[in-house]
Amino acid sequence: MNANAFAFLQQAMTADGGWGYSLDQASSVEATAAVALAAQDDLADADLERSAVAWLRAAQHADGGWGMNKDDIESIWTTGWGVLALTSTGSAEDAVARGAVWLARMPALRVTDDELQEEFRRKLAVDPNLSGWPWLPDEASWIEPTALILLALAAAPVQGIAARSAEAARFIADRRCQGGGWNFGNPVMLGGNLPPRAHPTAWALLALNRVAPDLIRSEDLAALRTEAGRDGGSSALALALLALRTLGEDDPALASRLAGRQAAGGGWDGNPYHTALALLAGRGRLL
Amino acid sequence: MARLSRRAFLRIAVLAGLGVSVAALERVSRPVGLGNYLRWTTRGELERIAGRPAVIALGECPTYADDLAGRLASLWHQAEMPDVTGKRVLVKPNLIDVIEGYPTTTAPEVVGAVLDVLTGLGASEIVVGEGSGFRREAEPVVESCGLAAELARRHVSFVDLNYDDPRPVPVEDGWFRHATNIWLPRHVREADLVVSVPKLKVHHWAGVSLSLKNLFGILPGCRYGWPKNMLHVNGIAMSVLGLYRLAQPVVSVMDGVVGMEGDGPLFGTPVPHGLLAVSADPVAVDTLCARLMGFDPNKIQYLWLAAWAGVGQAKRLDVRGGDVARFSRTYQPPPS
Repeated sequence: MNANAFAFLQQAMTADGGWGYSLDQASSVEATAAVALAAQDDLADADLERSAVAWLRAAQHADGGWGMNKDDIESIWTTGWGVLALTSTGSAEDAVARGAVWLARMPALRVTDDELQEEFRRKLAVDPNLSGWPWLPDEASWIEPTALILLALAAAPVQGIAARSAEAARFIADRRCQGGGWNFGNPVMLGGNLPPRAHPTAWALLALNRVAPDLIRSEDLAALRTEAGRDGGSSALALALLALRTLGEDDPALASRLAGRQAAGGGWDGNPYHTALALLAGRGRLL
Repeated sequence: MARLSRRAFLRIAVLAGLGVSVAALERVSRPVGLGNYLRWTTRGELERIAGRPAVIALGECPTYADDLAGRLASLWHQAEMPDVTGKRVLVKPNLIDVIEGYPTTTAPEVVGAVLDVLTGLGASEIVVGEGSGFRREAEPVVESCGLAAELARRHVSFVDLNYDDPRPVPVEDGWFRHATNIWLPRHVREADLVVSVPKLKVHHWAGVSLSLKNLFGILPGCRYGWPKNMLHVNGIAMSVLGLYRLAQPVVSVMDGVVGMEGDGPLFGTPVPHGLLAVSADPVAVDTLCARLMGFDPNKIQYLWLAAWAGVGQAKRLDVRGGDVARFSRTYQPPPS
């Protein structure tokens, strides 16, 4: 399974040495970073990792951050992917340090107005004093970028982030859905409970496991299994398995469904990003 | 002490009046900028006074089991929709998320019928696309809402707009105040026509979710994240109109066969409305449909803004298809 998947990734490499979300797309930071992580495997050709690292280094902005792709001049959430991937390869300390500093300084919107805070408590059932990381600078915090960046900063050697990371872990715990798991942001909308979703739940568990494992509840894992099974998409199944296996658990039914989605050509959905996630799920750890 | 002459007094009064007016104009236009304010006000006035009436075709359709394609073909003709012969068309349903027991998405039967109409009219390339706000991957939503089967039957592709090779497009008309470019998916950039096929719903932030709010799904998540917080930070009304200007030409086919009232756009209650509405002007059809739901369009911020700024035709509506009153309902508003 893995050898085929790496062969697919080899073929899916774009002319500039990165990977996109499909075979006919330009390279993106998220897909290329995921490939860089997945390529740290004995079965993978060393060219995969080398190419991914070179592409990521070339795509890094002067301010230390990354955009969505090489044409994107704004540094955004994908910087978490850039730092995570380069940290894991251990070959770009300067790039990692600059990226980590950018992440540590990435501003998130804070609600300070008393009336608005009360409205947030009432309508969204969240503690508005807690903040994590946004998708784009100066926006509200969301589960996935918060978790991704927590993981990146936990792996990168950067100083002075303990307080923000601790608050971000509390932010994730505060946003837990009723019955466990996470939606993309708030757990409630105007009194209605939002359902947990596989992707943010998997990311939240990966991050909490790294920085605050005591905050994980068994119901979160149950929610992840249920939601990944209900979603059934390759990325949901792969991320769920990656999170479960990182936490020392497994789910043969989800694993079987993920394996069943692999195409004869070795890839998942013809998508290098999904394929890299499936490989990471098979390995059972992100780093 | 010298006495002020009458002429001098009048001069001072006129100058003072001008000063107060300029200060007031500066204050009222500050949120959008003086240039935008003057351009939008002028355009809106011209649209109200001399704009071409927008044609909207309304049709009754009690259930999804009816001959939807036949009804829509007739409405398409009545609404004087643009010629699609040889055109690349992107059909954009609302697939925000599937939540069991709630009519959150555009009915797949309506999307299928739109595809049949477009095929019959000679569109050269048709794809269906959506970038769900609450799902990282659209395929499971397409499968579970039943749309995948409709597409497979017609050999039409689905494209996940959250990952569709986005590229930056220059902002038009000043609707995104802090951005010079907005990243848009390839199929939006390259479409000759976008057909917005929304579900008739109330929406807890926007008031209603119709043809224009449905365009939030064209913003790529792989750039802006989920659920596209940038649009809320910019302001829902401004973003709705900004995306409309960027995606043009956009036309509308409204799925109001079963609408949603109350806690929309996710947890509302189904309303058997029996309505299909078709128009080449999404502002016009949204304005009319808001009224048919029992809401005052002037109290729906994005519709009020569209009317004031002359983005589409909100005042001069040419409604075809019979008596409007028979489609009037009173939807439960979203909880506050």
